[in-house]
Formats: sequence, C-alpha cells, structure tokens
Amino acid sequence: MTLSPLAACAGPGSAPGVGSTSGAGAGSGITLALNRSLVSLDNKLNQFDAAVTVQRGVRQALTFIDPKLTVQHVLAERFELTAPTEWTVKLRDGVRYSDGSPVTVEDVSTALQMYQKVPGSFLAGLFPEWPTVTPVDAATFKLVTKHPVPTLDYLMANILITPAAANKPEELQGGVGSGPYVVTAANRGTGEYTLQVNDKYWGPAPAIKTVQVRFLPEEANRVVALRSGEVDVIDAISPDAISQLSGLGDVEVQQVPSTRITQLFYNFRKPAGHPLADPRVREALSYAINGPSLIKDVFADSVSPARGVVADTLTGAVQTGEYVYDPQKAKQMLDAAGVKDLKIKIIWETGEFANDTSVMEAVVEMLKAVGVQAELQQFQPGGDISKWRQGRGGDWDVLGNGYPGPTGLALTPLQGMFAGTKEKEATRDTYQGYVFPKIAALLEKASQETDKAARESILATAQKEIWNTWPCMWAFVPKTVIARRKRVENVLLSPTNSYELASVRLNG
Amino acid sequence: MVRYVAQRVGQSILAIFLTVSTVFVLVRLAPGDPAAAYASPLATTAELDRIRAQFGLDKPLIQQYGIFVQDLFHGNLGTSFSFQAPALDVVLSRMPYTIMLAVSAILFAAVVAIPAGVWMARHADTARELGANVAMIAGQSMPEFWSGIMLLTIFAVLVPVLPASGFTSWAGLVLPTVTVGILQIALISRLVRREMGAGFAAPYLTIARARGISERGLTWRYALGNSAVPLVTALGTRFAAMLNGVVVVEVVFAWPGVGSLVVRALETRDYPLIQATVLVTAILTVLVQLLIDLTYPLLDPRVRLGKAVAS
Repeated sequence: MTLSPLAACAGPGSAPGVGSTSGAGAGSGITLALNRSLVSLDNKLNQFDAAVTVQRGVRQALTFIDPKLTVQHVLAERFELTAPTEWTVKLRDGVRYSDGSPVTVEDVSTALQMYQKVPGSFLAGLFPEWPTVTPVDAATFKLVTKHPVPTLDYLMANILITPAAANKPEELQGGVGSGPYVVTAANRGTGEYTLQVNDKYWGPAPAIKTVQVRFLPEEANRVVALRSGEVDVIDAISPDAISQLSGLGDVEVQQVPSTRITQLFYNFRKPAGHPLADPRVREALSYAINGPSLIKDVFADSVSPARGVVADTLTGAVQTGEYVYDPQKAKQMLDAAGVKDLKIKIIWETGEFANDTSVMEAVVEMLKAVGVQAELQQFQPGGDISKWRQGRGGDWDVLGNGYPGPTGLALTPLQGMFAGTKEKEATRDTYQGYVFPKIAALLEKASQETDKAARESILATAQKEIWNTWPCMWAFVPKTVIARRKRVENVLLSPTNSYELASVRLNG
Repeated sequence: MVRYVAQRVGQSILAIFLTVSTVFVLVRLAPGDPAAAYASPLATTAELDRIRAQFGLDKPLIQQYGIFVQDLFHGNLGTSFSFQAPALDVVLSRMPYTIMLAVSAILFAAVVAIPAGVWMARHADTARELGANVAMIAGQSMPEFWSGIMLLTIFAVLVPVLPASGFTSWAGLVLPTVTVGILQIALISRLVRREMGAGFAAPYLTIARARGISERGLTWRYALGNSAVPLVTALGTRFAAMLNGVVVVEVVFAWPGVGSLVVRALETRDYPLIQATVLVTAILTVLVQLLIDLTYPLLDPRVRLGKAVAS
C-alpha cells in the first residue's frame, strides 16, 4: 500500500483511457466505482457496505453469508455447535495465503484478539461476547464462550483472517490474505486499488483477472462513468438515477431487498405525560403517513414497506403488521387521547437515506393534515446528531435513521435497537431511550437459545411485543441496488450489499 | 535582496504558524465529535470515551495545542482519523493532482487569455471587442459546477471522447482544466485588455511609434511588457488560490485533489487531516507569493524589492 507522493506523481492509473467502453479494459478486467473511499482492505474498525466486496476478495473469514442469508463455509470446513457454549471448527484442508503459507489456528486466535482491541469497532457491537480459541489439533479448534452464542457461525463471517505475525489491532493496510485476489497497486489517499488474481488461491480461479477499484463519491460521477463505459459496476444509486439508468440498453440495474431498515423512530426519553410517551399517540401518528405515496412518488419503488420491526429479509424476522394510511383514524385516535395542537421536531442527518429531504418535507405536510405541526432539523454529516440522539444536544421527537443488518440475522438489529436496559440508559447507550425490560429479557433469552426453532419462536414473540409499543411513525426497507454494464455477468448481489468478486464473469 | 527574502521567509513562517494555530482552534469550536464520526454508529459511550482518549481529545484545549505545536516542530502532524495513516502523507498523496490541475489550468488560461486580451485591446471600442466582451462576461458568469457539468455531458456522455471522472489517463486532465480555465480566461483577458488599453494611451507608446517601431513590437514588447507586473500578480494569485483546491471542479470531475480531501476531512471532523491540509497549502501559497514578488524586478526595472517603487 502506498501513500507516497511519488506514487501519485507517477501519472494516471491503469484504468481505461479515453472513451473506453470496456472498464478495466481488454476483456479481462472490470472497474468498480465505490461511493465510499476504501481506506483499507480490513474491516476491524468500519465495515462500509461497498467495501466488503473488495475486502473479501482479498481477505476471507471462516464463514460467509450468501445471498440467501445462509451460512456457507469458507476457510472452515466444519463449523458446528458441539455444546451450548462451544463450537468446533476445522480449517479446510489446503487453505493458504497468497504468499503460500497455510492458514492456521493461531491466525484465527490472533484475529479475534486484534478485533477486540480496536476501540469503537463496528463489529464489537455485533458480538454478545468474544469467543476464545482452544486448539484441538493443527487444523481443529474450539470457539468457547461463557454464555451460549448460537449464532456464532454467522458472526464469524465478519472476522477476516490474516497471518498472526502480520495482524495488528488496527485497520491493516497491507499484508497477505487468503482470498482470490491480491492487491498489486494501491493509493489510500485517492481510494484507488488494483487487484490481480491470486495465483496461489486455494479455490477455483476467478474469471476476472484484474479488478480496478475507484472512489467516486458523487452519484452523478458514478452514473456518468458507467454510462460512458469508464466503469463497469456502481453502487449507492438513488431512485432518480435508477430510472435514468434503467432505460439504457447496455446497462443493467440490479435490485434486491436489503437487510437494512430505515425508520422514523420515536424518542423514548419523553417524560411520563408527554403525548409521545403514550403508545396510542405514537400509533395515531403512524396513520397520518401516506407510506404508499412516499414509496411510489418519492422513492420510485426503490424501497419496500416495512412489515415488521426489522427488515423482513433477515433470518428470524417475522411480519408483525403494516403501516396503514388512514388520516381520519389518526385524528380520531389523537382526539381520543386528548391530544390537541401537538408540535413535534423531526431530526435526521443529511444523506441518511435517499431523497431524505423530500421525504421529510412530505411527512411534515402529512402530519399537518391531521393537525400536528412538525418542525424539521437536518444535521450535516459529522455534525452533532450523535449528541442529539443521546439526548445531550437538545430535545426532539422523531429521528430519521437507518439500522443495518450486517450479520443477516434479525437478532442482531433487534438486540441493537430494542434490548435497552436501565443500566445502558444510565450511560445513554440505549437506542433512543427504548427500554422495555420484558422485551430485553426475551431478546436475551433468544440470543442464548441453541435450538433454532425455539430461538425463532422467542424472537417472533419479541418482535410482536415490540410492534405493539409503536416504536416508529413509519419505516421502510431500502433495496440494495447496483448498476452494471451488461458485459459483466453473474453478480450475485446479496441483501447485505456485497457480492463475491470471484463469481463475476464477463460475457463474450 | 537576500535580506528581503530572509525577511519575507520569516514573515511567511509566522503567517503559516498563525494560520495553522487559528485553524486548530476553529475546527475544535465547530459542532461535531471526531470520536462519533470515527466510531461505529453503535459505539457505546465508554467506547467513544476511549477513542477520545486515544486521540488525545479528552485533554484540555490548551494542552492539546501544546502537544500539537511540539509535534509540529518535529514534523509530525498526527494520524488521520479516517485514513488511519499519517495525515501529512495523505495530503501529499493528493497534492500532486492539485498541483497538476492548477498548473494545467493556469497555463491554459494564460495561453488563451493573454492573446485574447491583447486582441481586445487592439480592437478596442469596436463591434468585435464588444462580441469578445460578451463571450468573456458569459465565461465569468458561468458557475464552475454548471460549465463542468455541461462539458461532462457533451464530451463524456453525448460524444464520449474524454473521460468523465478522476485521473485514469492524461485525457482526464482536459475537462477539469477547461472548466477551471473558463473563469480564469474571462478574468485575465479583461485585465490584459484594461492594462494594455492604458498602455496604448501612454505617451511613451506615442514616442515609440514615432521612432518607427512596428505595431507588433508596440503591442507585445511595450504595451504588454508594461502590463507584466499586474498580469503576473493576477496569474500568481489565481494559481495560489487553486493550490488550496478547486473544490467544485474536483467534486464535479471526481478529481482526487486536496479540495475534495478537505471537504471529507471536515465532514469526518478529521482534525489532523484538516491541519495538515492547511499547513501544506499555506506553505505552497506563501511560496508562490514569494516567487511572484521576486519576479517583479525582472519584469519592471523600477521595482526594488523592499523599497518603494520608483515613480
């Protein structure tokens, strides 16, 4: 990896030239344009959706969550729950890194330690507790926890394995991986990378020999670059761009429902007696929102209505109800609850979801129609919204916010959002003050239940309980969208917004 | 001369230090929390506290400043929060692209604007000058984001002969250069026209003409020569401004320069990266200004550095 100014001085990269219609060119390569800068090929600290595809092309985990959100074994040949607090894992025979060295049990153990040591890690929040590695033989080990973690096979899909000696408690900038590609050129400053096929790859050789990765933060740039053939695959596409690209003969727009849910989430730190502390009022306001119209007119059908408290694509998610548009009922319920001239403040961070401002302005009008006056406050990225969310910045009533489901499990976002306790609330670490001990207990029980059917039954009960508390005024599930040149085929887009580079092919 | 340069260098170092110090304080007064921007949205309060401690953000501002100054004198501008790399290295990895675009744009502007300004001066108060003026005013009035998008639409989408974004080939330099250049051409050509107009009316030109010097010589050697100081000042000042990043153009063309970098640094409250960018661009700006000053005696023998201009 280089950040050397000399490298930047060396001139233009090896991506296509003028008017190229073949991305990385010459039929053997593709160019991906990401909306976020790929600052490393590691995910210890952050796991941006767009980066995962590239990171996993170079580094691999013991398991992998496939597009159907089921666990597939990668470096592990066997990954089995052998006791409530013990998983037995056997490394696949012959798995090795790009330098030819074998993947070892020590590498797994070190990786787990390094992920734990990174402060503020995204992944740390996904693990109820970190497992320890107990070696059995050269290729077999046990992952041991104090309490049952029955979803560890899913969670371990996020732990990328690196040779122990090269691993550090930080985002690794270089080093070797066991994936189908190796990095041959990189400029972290500009977010440009070149990947070449790993000649020592232990699995089937990928069809694409070269992958160029470019950082194009502006959507307009990505769309123009795709249309002109400079890049082959783009991500993070707004509804407007989808309709623009859908009509082009040489471009294919690919959409799948995502694992993310975007909500207009109520502030649960309201004092008793405040209208929003009353679930009937929260429910009433939800009838004011014309969801179908927002989905059709503002999102151009690029999102789906939420039918539960998490994205229904997730394993273990159940449909608990639907958001219904009935302004008359909203008014009646508000009257019945004795609420008059309600004023609320809606906050959100710019760019939290597509067409955010248009949605919020429409919501204001919808609320006005039922006699509720809404005020909007928008925060610039990097601003103070975190402080506000914790209730330290100022008072607010509804937060526009998205919550990811990176593990493919409903349990993960359910715990993240709805397992708040008084202890967590003391440090403002609950999700917008949501504290319902009964629900937290159910989620805790589900998280330790090793029987899958029993676990999902508990989770279903918990989700119904959550729905009945009316945590959201409205919610939707955005679709994961990529657009690609038609010469690029077999892009197996996952709801988690990534795909396996090794499976991508070029036609012709 | 040496004393003047030494004095200017001393002043420049002080100016740079004050600039960087001001930025140090201002970015910390702005809303936002670097720890929250750095960590996962799911990070707990305890984790955010640990990150603040790791970055030294838990210390009093004056103590943070002391550490910053100490590190600055050791050439250490800290580690970028978002890149997890030395902030200076990140800036230096972007700087060549900014310098390249600035050099290219200023050369393009000079090559087009100087002859255009001379032509306008020679055709002063004619319908042709009026036409040229209209074109220049149009160039000056077009926002860079609009002209950039128009050029992009025409030459990268409708007639795809040039790359749309980034610097993947030398051809990628063309559209950003032209976009930045359009505004500069308009400004500089009008400046040349004004200065040369005054030059053409000056008595020394009448005498030179009486001595039988050709119109070409009068125009290029005398009238333009006399406009050299304001022209070089204008070109140098604009070049220095471009070194701070041509933010709009960098965004439109996804140009990997320092302008877009500093926008990102501000969004993520990446203090070390903001400070490193300001330091590097301030040094370059001061150097360019110094070079401009040093050219004055070469362009106008009446100028003596460090003294009042002889009349």
